[in-house]
Amino acid sequence: MTVDNRDLHETGDAAPDAALGLEGIPHTGESLTADGHLVEPQAEDFASARAVPQDTQWYKSAVFYEVLVRAFNDSDGNGTGDLRGLADKLDYLQWLGVDCLWLPPFYASPLRDGGYDISDFRAVLPEFGTVDDFVHLLNEAHKRGIRVITDLVLNHTSDAHPWFQESRNHPDGPYGDFYVWSDTDEAYPEARIIFVDTETSNWTYDPVRGQFYWHRFFSHQPDLNYENTEVQEAMLDVLRFWLDIGIDGFRLDAVPYLFEEEGTNCENLPRTHEFLKTCRKVVDDEYPGRVLLAEANQWPADVVEYFGDPEVGGDECHMAFHFPLMPRIFMAVRRESRFPISEILAQTPAIPDGAQWGIFLRNHDELTLEMVTDDERDYMYAEYAKDPRMKANIGIRRRLAPLLDNDRNQQELFTAMLLSLPGSPVLYYGDEIGMGDNIWLGDRDAVRTPMQWSPDRNAGFSRCDPGRLYLPTIADPVYGFQAVNVEAHMNNTSSLLHWTRRMLQVRTEHPAFGKGDFTELGSSNPSVLAYLRRHVTETVTDDGAVVVTEDRVICVNNLSRFPQPVELHLSEHEGRIPVELTGGVRFPAIGELPYLLTLPGHGFYWFQITDPQEEGEPQ
Amino acid sequence: MTDQPRLAVDALVDDLRAWLPTQRWFAAKGQDLTDVRVTRAAELVTGDPGLVHALVLAGGEVYQVLVGLRAELPEHLAPAAIGEVDGLHAYDATHDGELMTGLGDLIAGNADTGGLSFRAEPGVEVPAGLRARPIGVEQSNTSIVFAEQYILKLFRRPAPGPNRDVELHRALHAAGSQQIAAPVGTVAAGETVLGFAQRFLGDAAEGWATATASVRDLLAEGDLYAREVGGDFAGEAARLGAAVAAVHADLAATLGTEVIGAERMSEAVAAMHGRLDEVLAEVPELAEHETALRAAFDAVRGLDDGILVQHVHGDLHLGQVLRTTAGWVLIDFEGEPAVSPRERALTRSPLRDVAGMLRSFDYAALHLVAGAEPDHQRAARAAEWSDRNRTAFCDGYAAVGPDPRAAAVLLRAFELDKAVYEVRYEHRNRPDWVAIPLAAIKRAT
Repeated sequence: MTVDNRDLHETGDAAPDAALGLEGIPHTGESLTADGHLVEPQAEDFASARAVPQDTQWYKSAVFYEVLVRAFNDSDGNGTGDLRGLADKLDYLQWLGVDCLWLPPFYASPLRDGGYDISDFRAVLPEFGTVDDFVHLLNEAHKRGIRVITDLVLNHTSDAHPWFQESRNHPDGPYGDFYVWSDTDEAYPEARIIFVDTETSNWTYDPVRGQFYWHRFFSHQPDLNYENTEVQEAMLDVLRFWLDIGIDGFRLDAVPYLFEEEGTNCENLPRTHEFLKTCRKVVDDEYPGRVLLAEANQWPADVVEYFGDPEVGGDECHMAFHFPLMPRIFMAVRRESRFPISEILAQTPAIPDGAQWGIFLRNHDELTLEMVTDDERDYMYAEYAKDPRMKANIGIRRRLAPLLDNDRNQQELFTAMLLSLPGSPVLYYGDEIGMGDNIWLGDRDAVRTPMQWSPDRNAGFSRCDPGRLYLPTIADPVYGFQAVNVEAHMNNTSSLLHWTRRMLQVRTEHPAFGKGDFTELGSSNPSVLAYLRRHVTETVTDDGAVVVTEDRVICVNNLSRFPQPVELHLSEHEGRIPVELTGGVRFPAIGELPYLLTLPGHGFYWFQITDPQEEGEPQ
Repeated sequence: MTDQPRLAVDALVDDLRAWLPTQRWFAAKGQDLTDVRVTRAAELVTGDPGLVHALVLAGGEVYQVLVGLRAELPEHLAPAAIGEVDGLHAYDATHDGELMTGLGDLIAGNADTGGLSFRAEPGVEVPAGLRARPIGVEQSNTSIVFAEQYILKLFRRPAPGPNRDVELHRALHAAGSQQIAAPVGTVAAGETVLGFAQRFLGDAAEGWATATASVRDLLAEGDLYAREVGGDFAGEAARLGAAVAAVHADLAATLGTEVIGAERMSEAVAAMHGRLDEVLAEVPELAEHETALRAAFDAVRGLDDGILVQHVHGDLHLGQVLRTTAGWVLIDFEGEPAVSPRERALTRSPLRDVAGMLRSFDYAALHLVAGAEPDHQRAARAAEWSDRNRTAFCDGYAAVGPDPRAAAVLLRAFELDKAVYEVRYEHRNRPDWVAIPLAAIKRAT
């Protein structure tokens, strides 16, 4: 779907709204004001979606589900998924038990970077639908108690964005200073190049303006100039545009790079944090209950900065992804040792009261190996990417099931850890049915193939000719849609899908998972990872009494493929009864001595620690 | 203080005579115990339950016994019963969390009572009232954990004079070592250290368990090389090597080093020959290697430059190292259990520790295949694991200290000396496993 926009580079006087096929629908730059400003669509031009019930801390215990609009469901039969198609599948997502959808960008875009190259922040990519379709999706989701957040790229735009076209053509116009322009390519030499596979410099020469422009990512994604307060205002208005329509929050893409400063690596600069505080203030003052989720692919000790001031419970982003945890989970299971996970959790600093980590096993990007050391990276490549085609950039592009050799026990163990470690879990579409990948597709498309709904044509994803699909369906004998699809999983109550649903239900019933503190329980067995999640709630009754309820959950994971015994020191819970959470079976009471458990290979337990209670029929 | 406690324990002598030999830490197993005497006793906790601290001479050794006294013995303490005195149940008080909490409080309060001195280390604040729980019994100690904060090791066979474990831990702590559990306090009777408290490492897993998990993973594969399997241990082995080298460097920096000349080297070589003589007399299978072994030992005499010696761990193997979330930690600096306290206190080549660890890797690799039907494939895999991790350990050591492989003659002699000792041990205790050290001797000679 790559669109060549080279002609935009060459023709100096192209219309600013030349951005792709938006004729006939509201978009940026349909006209210019007298002072040369672009006229942009306003939220009032559209309907806005109904609100969801107020709970300003919902994100702390929510289960997120990342879904690619293109890949989920095609409502109009053109071979590409769309917003209406996604809305038609909300019943499924409600049934599964997800609380919030995360949609990667669906804005107008030349699609040279999977939609992260946004050419109009206020228009929807036509093949996905319109802003009105998005309002419909939001409405339908909110009706089911499901929230929706989407990506917003603050750092840069596509070079097809009218702002950039104005900026390169009219250096003295209102947009002349919207991007980072320089006469040379020598500034900020200490900033690393992120896409080492394709870019050789962070500067690219623009023949139209006759200057270099700064870009931390691809050369077709010029960085916005945050030194310019008009840029800051313009981006805050973009936030307001979608928040007015009713969106529940944003995943802010590539946040560490907003500002540049000579003599630094241009990441995590203080002024970048200041701007995020401004964004947060807009949300808190004008749209309480909506969230900002930071994508900062950095070490947790650096990422916590993006939560802001702990004294006030955090005043930047509500959430941030915990990147290094994910590869460590994979490594720990392969090594049959808890230490890769224990270490990264021990190195993770405390976060403000109002903050929450987002954690994931897989997403639309490759399995990121930036957060592992070189030795560990070699090891991960060797273990999980036996074929060189599986490697992309600095990562591995596989889905969960093939990464785990389609081993059901491991898929369950990994998912159980995802749902019980500290943070809000983010599931990736298709992983709940164990979908496979296609490593022969280019770039990161291996893990972006159509959702498999049924054994029908095109996996039930689209009614189009199979050749018209944006990407072919998975058709191999193990992961192909004839065998692996939602319908088949629905019809089999022992399927991974039903199992996942049950686990989400259990998680929802226990606030300890989302809001509880985390204590690792050491043991002498290095292959067993055990931890306590504990949440204390105080409620005030009608007559003013304070009732304290405590939710205590102990999770025990066997990272080894062999059965293992473990002795846990639980004597602080002496006299209490562990109740297994998926089946409700009462285990022997905890005593003075170490509590002995045995686990099957890759087995796990979730126990609620309950006060002793009389069991059985009335005496 | 009255004579009451003394009398109480004296009355227990017959029961102790029966009870002591059933304890894992009792040394003179199989001997006839005629002479059992209480040499000192002190009442530490009065009331019910009561706690009496006693030193008991039996079979020529002094043992530390903590006697609990209760009118009613709860079920969970029944296995700890020693006998009865004055209508009270007497039992091993280290199993009694309540009494042990009281013992911990004495450390917290820097108490002097019944001639015993309880001391927190300088600058360490020990909280009182911590819940105490006994953990596994070791060869010569009994350990009690206090609320996951610190662990008190009670020496069951306390020796008079300075305690090596305490001294070396203090020296390492003073040097800022991150590879030990920091000292917390001591219990002593005059010059004799009876107990040593250290920070408890609740997240720790034993080196042996960690290493053998990796070996199991490898052997389950069969067709993959040691470097290819998921459970590869080389990274851990290298980090362990670096940790051991760091401990050696810290001990050298705080307690000094010296270079010994031909005379003391000659003594050491003579001692190796002496041990070999003893084992040869007992284990005929070793005879075929005698010439090669003696040549390896004698080669040490030819080292002209002298040997650097210092304080070392003295009994280093995978059971004496813990993997914690923060890295590897070395424990139990008491020295080799089989030799006299005087010998343990001697400075030695740090390569002794390296040799001990290298032998331990060999054991971890081979113990799963030892005694089974010979299987060339599995044996080859296990040997591969051993080689890979021994090399990684040395690489890690060399990244912090001198490369142990540079002193090949000495290292080989130490390893063989250790293997000879193992041959006797296995011959006596686990004949199936004698193949492990024998194979090592065969490979090295």
